Amino acid sequence: MLISYNWLKQYVKLSDSLTPEELALKLTMSTVEVEGVEIQGKNLENIVVGEVKKVEKHSDADSLQVCSVNDGSTDHQVVCGGSNVVEGMKVALGKIGSKVKWHGEGDLVELTKVKIRGIDSHGMICASTEIGLGELFPPKDKKEILDLSDLDLKVGLPLVKALGLNDAVLDIDNKSMTHRPDLWGHYGMAREVASLYHKDLKKYNSSELKKGKGLVIKVENKDQKLCSRYMAVALSGVEVKESPEWLKQKLIAVGLRPINNIVDVTNYILMDLGQPMHAFDARQLETIDKTGHDKRITVRRAENKEEFTSLDGSEYILDDSMLVIADEEKPVALAGIIGGLNSEIQNNTTTIIFESANFDATTIRRTATKLGIRTDSSTRFEKSLDPNNAELALKRAVELVLEMCPEAKIVSNIVDEKKFSLYAGPIELSLEFLNKKIGIDLEKKQVINILESLGFGVKEKKDIFLVTIPTWRATKDISIPEDLVEEVARIYGYNNIEVKLPEFPIIPPKRNGLRDLERQAKDIISMEHGYTETYNYSFVSPEWIKKMGLKIEDHIELDNPIAKDRPYVCTTLLPNLLENVEKNMHYTNSLRLFEVGKVFDKNHSGVRAEEKSDELLPRQDLMLTFVYSEKGSKTPFYEVSEVVSSLLDKFGVDYELKVSKSVSKSMHPGREAEILVGSLSTDVQGKEVIGFISELHPQVQIDLGIDERVGMVEINLNNLLKYVKDKMDYNPLPLYPVIERDIAFVVDKTIVHKDIENSLREVDEIIKSVELFDVYSGENIDRNKKSMAYHILYRSDDKTLESNEVDKIHKKVVKVLQKKFEANMR
Amino acid sequence: MQEKLKKLKTNALKAIEAVKESVALEDLEIKFLGRKNGEMTSLMKGLKDLKGDSKKAFGQLANEIKTAIEFAFKIKKEELNTLEIAKLLKIESIDITQPSLPKKERGHLHPITQEMRAVEDVARTMGFIVEDGPELESNYYVFESLNIPEYHPARDAQDTFYIKDNPDWCMRSHVSNMQVRLMQKYGAPLRAAHPGRVFRNEALDTTHGHTFYQFDAIVVDKNLNIGHLVGVIKEFLKAIYKKDVEVRIRPGHFPFVEPGFEMEMKVVFGKGKNAKTKWVEIVGCGLIHPNVLKEGGLDPKEWDGFAFSLGLDRLVMGKYQLEDIRHMHSGNIKFLEQF
Repeated sequence: MLISYNWLKQYVKLSDSLTPEELALKLTMSTVEVEGVEIQGKNLENIVVGEVKKVEKHSDADSLQVCSVNDGSTDHQVVCGGSNVVEGMKVALGKIGSKVKWHGEGDLVELTKVKIRGIDSHGMICASTEIGLGELFPPKDKKEILDLSDLDLKVGLPLVKALGLNDAVLDIDNKSMTHRPDLWGHYGMAREVASLYHKDLKKYNSSELKKGKGLVIKVENKDQKLCSRYMAVALSGVEVKESPEWLKQKLIAVGLRPINNIVDVTNYILMDLGQPMHAFDARQLETIDKTGHDKRITVRRAENKEEFTSLDGSEYILDDSMLVIADEEKPVALAGIIGGLNSEIQNNTTTIIFESANFDATTIRRTATKLGIRTDSSTRFEKSLDPNNAELALKRAVELVLEMCPEAKIVSNIVDEKKFSLYAGPIELSLEFLNKKIGIDLEKKQVINILESLGFGVKEKKDIFLVTIPTWRATKDISIPEDLVEEVARIYGYNNIEVKLPEFPIIPPKRNGLRDLERQAKDIISMEHGYTETYNYSFVSPEWIKKMGLKIEDHIELDNPIAKDRPYVCTTLLPNLLENVEKNMHYTNSLRLFEVGKVFDKNHSGVRAEEKSDELLPRQDLMLTFVYSEKGSKTPFYEVSEVVSSLLDKFGVDYELKVSKSVSKSMHPGREAEILVGSLSTDVQGKEVIGFISELHPQVQIDLGIDERVGMVEINLNNLLKYVKDKMDYNPLPLYPVIERDIAFVVDKTIVHKDIENSLREVDEIIKSVELFDVYSGENIDRNKKSMAYHILYRSDDKTLESNEVDKIHKKVVKVLQKKFEANMR
Repeated sequence: MQEKLKKLKTNALKAIEAVKESVALEDLEIKFLGRKNGEMTSLMKGLKDLKGDSKKAFGQLANEIKTAIEFAFKIKKEELNTLEIAKLLKIESIDITQPSLPKKERGHLHPITQEMRAVEDVARTMGFIVEDGPELESNYYVFESLNIPEYHPARDAQDTFYIKDNPDWCMRSHVSNMQVRLMQKYGAPLRAAHPGRVFRNEALDTTHGHTFYQFDAIVVDKNLNIGHLVGVIKEFLKAIYKKDVEVRIRPGHFPFVEPGFEMEMKVVFGKGKNAKTKWVEIVGCGLIHPNVLKEGGLDPKEWDGFAFSLGLDRLVMGKYQLEDIRHMHSGNIKFLEQF
């Protein structure tokens, strides 16, 4: 919202030495955020009212004229491209040394004497946009210069003086005052300013309304909850015309375009008191009787599918959650939001009906949102306005119309349908509580002064203040002692409060295991294994769910997704990670990506939705998911499996891989495994699956547009956490040397390494390690066979082994391999 | 015999002198001193035929000569070694600017993770528990428990993602959903930070995301006031920015605090003569609203509290001067690898 400095001064006397910028800072620090201050007429030095004495064609350019412009004492030759320049015209003359924006764009440029197409030009005849007056004098076309002839200005006067441009406009961030309905007009803002500078606030004067004769307005309020007050009065003898200069200037200053005196008055009240009003053309309201003397206005909910055309010509379909103002036949206004085209003030309107009302904030907000209309009126009503303001506004509006139109008079009864009550307190506030919360030592007198300056009533009862709330703060803003703490502290000055540190006992905070695990896992996978962390959105598209072979019905759906194509909440991080793979593999040869994030499991329950309710939220476990793909890597499964091994080893977790029965259709059925943890001595039943290792199904991989095989791992960190051991095992350093023997053999392809390793480890206790170092299939090997080679380390804990002792056990090894795995030694 | 010995010595010393390479020297060593067929060994075999004094004299001379030859070998060995190392060093000089090949890929942590950790560590050193909770949350914890009643604008669908078929749930629009959860879990006094991912129904552009990250914290204790709030957050910021900071507070409205503030920090833009200072909004904060304490099971007459919130995305954007917030969730390796 724009606030005019001069307008404020109408209500509060400010020191001449105070600058608008200082006021802006004060307001920002105590009340609302001022985003900028625009000083009117800034940079208008050396620009004066000039009179065009002579206009001649430029000899060398068709679109230019050579003008002689008088500045009150001398004539200046100026080359001008203005389309509308004529002799006798009063113009804004930019003399040498003045600053302008060429064609209203770019930075300010200081004028110097120049030659334009061979002819000297001493200055410039300015367009409004070139000197920052575009809003005040909107040009009709680009080449139009500012024509001041109508304004009866003295030639030679500096433009700033001639136009009375001495205001400053404060641009207030609307978001910073959503909780302050009282600040949406200049009078309310002036009250703050008066309080901040210890000045008096002028009383808001308006004369009483006296009912007149001719018309009877009957208002039927069908929904007092949505409309707590409805006031109306008719004026006839109104002459719709241009507003007086003072009014136009005020509206322009705060960014409103003057339209006609009646509309301008309602806009003035809007900006003055923050109370939206509406003026109807009385002719357009259907009457009850044939005489046209009885006007009935109904405040009612719209009918479903009722049509309404607003005064800007837009058409809307309404529903019964919305409130309208209607005559006998049709809605004439969308209550508190916008007037109807059918009852708009015309140039020949002579009888008007003013509406000044109060509407329910939520209804206004919801209607405005639903229909996509935001007006100055709806913006204010949705803040919960003080219904008392409606009366003040109506009185002042009538007063202004009567001033402007000498023929006008009230010709109706004064309607005031109201039903409202506001909580006025008193709030009990103790000085001790106040000082304790703020952290200062204020005296009673200071507190009383601050509260009273803001309009609060204060009575003392021992050490307690009984504080009554002024109506304009009582609609929603102030109701508890803490609210008063804010009032006192901000006027006192937040930054006058001494900055301190609280005294706390020195105790280390509790650690969160999951958070620690997450951090360690991220470190290991990124720092040790070269994986790069990515963040993806939590939302997925139905296409990807299908591509991944997951079920739509397992997914939670958003009611109002922003990306319409991604309405589902993820149950796995894989789809988005695979999308990353697809995109990145176009410009890299190898990719290692991981993400840690929550997934949302509709089918399992998580924490409580409320402390005392049995409702449980969906389970939201933290997943560590990673993918690996590299040009030429045929079995990335092993690479990612190795990472799992290193990771779980770091956490002291023993695990087993079990061939899994297809986690989803997107997995390679021959290359997927579940990661089992738990007590490994018991059977599979006692173990828990904490994740899987797999490769992307080759067909899915092609469908997704990925050229290379992709290894994928998902580990549920919530589940893993239960098995993480703080203390790792340690083995004392061996005392006796180790003897290494290698063994190579050919076995059937179905034989798995883990079984061989386990069997060999069991052969004898001097076998300390069985390490696979080569697997080969291809030339010279049967198609169903593979060659495997192991390092076997022998060591005794009691003595140095003799070669023949090792030979004996090694023979056993060969036997086991032959017997159990039908291995052919190489 | 003794003559032979002396001749051997002369020959050996001459030969050693002439050697240019250590391989030749080794051969020479075998030739003269080799245990099986070395000339010295062969001569020594004659010792067994001698007797008495001449045996003694021969033995003595042989030893002297052997020592002398050995010494000559040792000196020559060192000399050759020095020469050869010098030669090797010359040959082995490399292009020190060349990287190790093949290139080894490093891993990278997301900039938000890095920033989150930095801030988290500050919080921990100041005695805060750090804990996150549900991202899909009940309206109760996101709104009601925070003094945001049913018809409040903050609850509009244009701000919050709601869950289909369950109007009581949403994707949390702020991490303040943890305020009451933490109070219920730990009671008071309490110092807890609760950073995490939040969601707003906002159109994406270069400075807005519908998914972003907040770092919030609450303190509940006895006798806390506005001065304490400023003091604690200031220390917090000092630790994050690793330097002294200048801060100020101004009014800011959030329903779950009363009074509420925007804390601004003085930031220098530009360098040298062109340096300008500006106050920049950095932390939303306030004293915890009594209604929120009540929801947390705490008596507002007994307990005070304050809460504050930092935008992690904004910290990251500022730190690296990022031009587009959407990069954060792009999964683009060219972006991610820079951190």
